[in-house]
Amino acid sequence: MPATTPSSAVTATRTSPSASKLDESVPLLRVADLAVSFDNGKGPRIQAVDGVRMTIYPRQTLAVVGESGCGKSVTAMSTMQLVPRPPGRFDRGAAFFNHNGKSVNLLTLSEREMQQFRGSEIAMIFQEPMTSLNPVYTIGDQILEAILLHQNVKLDEAIEIAVRAMDDVGIPDPRSRLSDYPHQFSGGMRQRVMIAMALACDPVLLLADEPTTALDVTIQAQILELLRKLQNDRGMGMMLITHDLGVVAENADVVCVMYAGRVVEYGTVFEVFKHPLHPYTRGLFASIPKMHEHRRRLVTINQIVDNLDEFKKLPGASDGVRPWWPWHDPPKDIRPKPGPAGDYYLQEVSKDHWVGVWRTAAVSDHESPPPDLAYRISDDPEAPSKKK
Amino acid sequence: MGTYLLRRLFLLIPTVIGMTFLIFMLIASSKGGIGAAIAFSSGAGQAKGESAALQRARLEDRYGLDSPVVVQYGRWIGRVSPVKFGTRDQVSPAGERFREPRSMKDPPLWEWFVDALPEPDAPKELPGKDAEEQVKRDAYRQASNDFAAARVDHVRARTEFELAAGTLLRETGHRDAVESDGTVILGLAKRIEPDKSHALWADVEQKAKVMLDTYKATISNKATLDASFATKPFPESGWGLIPGVLWLDAPDLGYSYSRSTPVINEIAKALPYTLMLNLAAFPIIYLIAVPSGILSATHRGSWIDVTSGSLFVALWSIPVVWAGVLAIGFLANDKYLGMFPVSGLHDNDAANYLMLPSWGENGFERGYLLDTLWHLCLPVACIVYGGFAILSKQTRAAMLENFTMDYVRTAKAKGVDGGSIVMRHVFRNSLLPIITMFVTVFPATLAGSVVIERIFSIPGMGSMIIDAIFLRDTEILLSNSLIIGIVNVVALLLADILYAMADPRITYK
Repeated sequence: MPATTPSSAVTATRTSPSASKLDESVPLLRVADLAVSFDNGKGPRIQAVDGVRMTIYPRQTLAVVGESGCGKSVTAMSTMQLVPRPPGRFDRGAAFFNHNGKSVNLLTLSEREMQQFRGSEIAMIFQEPMTSLNPVYTIGDQILEAILLHQNVKLDEAIEIAVRAMDDVGIPDPRSRLSDYPHQFSGGMRQRVMIAMALACDPVLLLADEPTTALDVTIQAQILELLRKLQNDRGMGMMLITHDLGVVAENADVVCVMYAGRVVEYGTVFEVFKHPLHPYTRGLFASIPKMHEHRRRLVTINQIVDNLDEFKKLPGASDGVRPWWPWHDPPKDIRPKPGPAGDYYLQEVSKDHWVGVWRTAAVSDHESPPPDLAYRISDDPEAPSKKK
Repeated sequence: MGTYLLRRLFLLIPTVIGMTFLIFMLIASSKGGIGAAIAFSSGAGQAKGESAALQRARLEDRYGLDSPVVVQYGRWIGRVSPVKFGTRDQVSPAGERFREPRSMKDPPLWEWFVDALPEPDAPKELPGKDAEEQVKRDAYRQASNDFAAARVDHVRARTEFELAAGTLLRETGHRDAVESDGTVILGLAKRIEPDKSHALWADVEQKAKVMLDTYKATISNKATLDASFATKPFPESGWGLIPGVLWLDAPDLGYSYSRSTPVINEIAKALPYTLMLNLAAFPIIYLIAVPSGILSATHRGSWIDVTSGSLFVALWSIPVVWAGVLAIGFLANDKYLGMFPVSGLHDNDAANYLMLPSWGENGFERGYLLDTLWHLCLPVACIVYGGFAILSKQTRAAMLENFTMDYVRTAKAKGVDGGSIVMRHVFRNSLLPIITMFVTVFPATLAGSVVIERIFSIPGMGSMIIDAIFLRDTEILLSNSLIIGIVNVVALLLADILYAMADPRITYK
């Protein structure tokens, strides 16, 4: 485990991407072997996340995909220390944030130090725009609260910043709408307010936790378009948590597929979509109904992952590399490392493509680098379709 | 909002009418009816036979207690209502209100003797419009006294006649037309042909003649009084809208039977005590219960939560009667600690005190204010101790519920510190139950705490109400119910306004 930067080294000085150019070769956020568990009253602790690794670079969108309860949100919330503790607990791991060239482990910061990162350096958008705004304060109050907390500005300047932020996200007549209450906005407008609030302080990293799930499709497209535009303008990194593969295909540079608290597949969006290697990822793609195919019944994920042959399709399967799957008994030749997630291992199966596998004899002495992709579609001359 | 409030205020009228109607009917349906207390206090309850009947007849005639209950209620609500119909009341120099004389009832069983009731004589000569004030007043007073005297004569003659007629009816075999106490059931007796050959008939006929004569004298005097009332010898009360039809006036709460003083004076005397007690108690309850509820919520499961929760529930479980008696017995009794006064809100010679504490010839003198505070300690403590539990638990529950809300997470993600999240975000959203609590206890401020005022001999509203219940002082009871009812409705309205202020999602259209 790498040594963590002493948290006392954190200073309150702000970096704004527009003010100081971010070093695009250094990851903004590197999550290393994160494990979070929750107290379950009488029963054993629930391991929500175990051995998760990922990186996010400036100007990059990392899509975290997976079904409900797979640990996507816990991962994002852990990096902001928003997981309630107790009942939650950080068992292992670190989340290194690149703060003015210094690497800061967000998980070890005190509450007071964390407050300087929340909102100003890292911002988060939540799934429920209907309930995520405080109903008894005006929109203006809530945006201004964030600005006044993190920026050393006077009230009238803060109001200007808030108006600009609301204008950026496409809220018409922003100045007069500052004095409106959340219930006077529609769902899509409220999500825009949430985004404006999150981006008002120019964060370098945005964690978008299912930002469009509660919205209808047209609004969804508008919001994602907006997020993409703002990200390009500001050069921030974004973690886009979703379970909508269409959203992933349209927006992501890098995809991280999670299941049961582990990363099962990690790679660039083209790699993962073209050559899904883990049976669960294949199951996810197979379950999408296709326009040009006529089927009486949809393929379910279970049809794929219950088929043992699917697990043998992984490159290196003949050598004994087996995709990790929680419902399978560990293979006979398993050689777990000590620790809770010791039988699980995130292996770079092919170049820039990682798959969660069992730590069988074939990979027991093998150490592939943790997932680390600086890939951005916009920089890729060979990308089949460039983003707008 | 304005229209809504106006509509709510108008709704107050049917609410108050319905409520007072129920209370009025409850009192009326109890034994003795509305006037039981006056009948008793004036001796009609104990007196027997002729004098009882006479007494009762006089009271009924004076207070109109012989009218049907609904008519009596209508009369009461008309007196209390600020909107009045008909002729305006006149106010004597002493502040007493003079009403137009009530219409006279027909004498009983007159059909037995005459074909038609006598017509009143023409009213006596009265001073004209241009006469001096003093002359008009004298004329009115004279007419009023004459009428009262004639009415007393008539009531006596009527009562004697009724008794004689009752005896005759019983003797001639019409027992069913006579009540057990000797009163004639007029509806039945009217249709009976009296036995004119009976020995008692002469007596009955003679008494009827007296009765009819006094009746004629009474209605003649009433005609004079009516005429002199119409000349308005006294200034009119209230504010006229349509002359002779509609006018506004301050509610007249009537006279207390048991204390022979205007009810409004009784309330004005008792209210300051109760207000003082409760205005001292409520801030204490809120200043302790709300912060401890907040602390319990933020430190859920900690020793603060457990200790304050169980302590408050334990306090809440102590009956106030017991606590009050113990407090007096141990804290106020000279044989034990003797630290506090036993009863009342002031020392006996508090009237001679200076306002502020001072050093005088006899050393330290605590002065009027400190003396009052010292007397307040025990009763306020007794009001307060049971109030913490519910308010504190309500606050805690509301806070905990709001802590799990999404907007709390949003605020945290913005970098808001914990204290601001608790006070600015969560507490602000937890205000509604606290407002509700305020509304449910606010009317108690006026009603007073019956038990505590009794234990500590404080002559507040609670004491007054309990006395009025024991003495069946209808006027005080009705006035108090009216006031408490209005305060309740106003408190609910206040709650609605506060809701709208606390939560912008609540609007009234």
